[in-house]
Amino acid sequence: MSLTLYKSQRPPSEQLESAELDVTPVMNMFIILIPFLVSMAVFTNLSIIEFSLPPNVGASMNSSPEKPKPKLTVRVGTDYFGVVLGDTLYDSLSVNNGIYPFDELEERLRSRKLLLAANDDIVIASLDEIAFKHVVKVMDVCRSAGFVNVGLSSATVSPGGEMK
Amino acid sequence: MSIVKGMANSEIDGTFRPQLTSLIDVMTILLVFLIKSFSVDGNLITPSDDLILPVSSSEKRPRQQCTIEITGSAIIGEGEIIAKLNDVAATDSLLIEPLFKWMKLKSTQCGDSLKGRELMIQCDRELPYSNVKKVMYSCSRAGFNRFSVLVIREE
Repeated sequence: MSLTLYKSQRPPSEQLESAELDVTPVMNMFIILIPFLVSMAVFTNLSIIEFSLPPNVGASMNSSPEKPKPKLTVRVGTDYFGVVLGDTLYDSLSVNNGIYPFDELEERLRSRKLLLAANDDIVIASLDEIAFKHVVKVMDVCRSAGFVNVGLSSATVSPGGEMK
Repeated sequence: MSIVKGMANSEIDGTFRPQLTSLIDVMTILLVFLIKSFSVDGNLITPSDDLILPVSSSEKRPRQQCTIEITGSAIIGEGEIIAKLNDVAATDSLLIEPLFKWMKLKSTQCGDSLKGRELMIQCDRELPYSNVKKVMYSCSRAGFNRFSVLVIREE
């Protein structure tokens, strides 16, 4: 009698005989869905960075007789970054043991943008031997500092060793 | 009798039924992860296997446009080797003659002269800037004036 009472207090699910759930349709759905999703999955997200060329190059050659207004320029050398406007060198940041001071460059560019009331244009002039990844990083830094229109140019080293 | 009652039906009729609960758990987790990373657009651009793209914080999505790949050994357009990098490095001239001719032929397919002709450059991250400079110059001479570089978006 006591056993009967105890049995009646158990939840209804446990009172039933062990019912076996047929999971075959669920497994079929998984087997179809998972290969489909794996084939469509995007594991590396790609982006683009748009840039322009200097006005005196090729198709974008400036036909205007007026001399183009100088833009703020970041010179990328093997051992330093230089922030230049026209012939004036405003900032020079040295590269220590091959590590480029990107954070410091961003701060300097922000302050120069305010002080010089520069517009959103900037030119990156890099030496030939600089790895492309550093040039892309400088493009990022310039955009973070508020320079939306980035142009790419090249820097040259004068016979005296000075970068131009 | 009680022993027989306690046995599962499968054991009675002699068939083996595997426990699928753990497998379904794994499948469910996998499904949730894949649905989360699922992109309806997918990648419109497939970068070449021969190059490692630079990383950038840019979030501008790539669109279908004319592309030039600069790998460690060659300049490639539409899967065709246009110039070897050794030959490009050997000359001081900014103009890469084979690339210029190839781009001149393709220029009509890559936009019109009024809106501007667009070109996307895929370049290996470790290559020197001089290669990109020469490619940009040659393409610019062939009539291209809107450039972009393909990068891997920084997470």
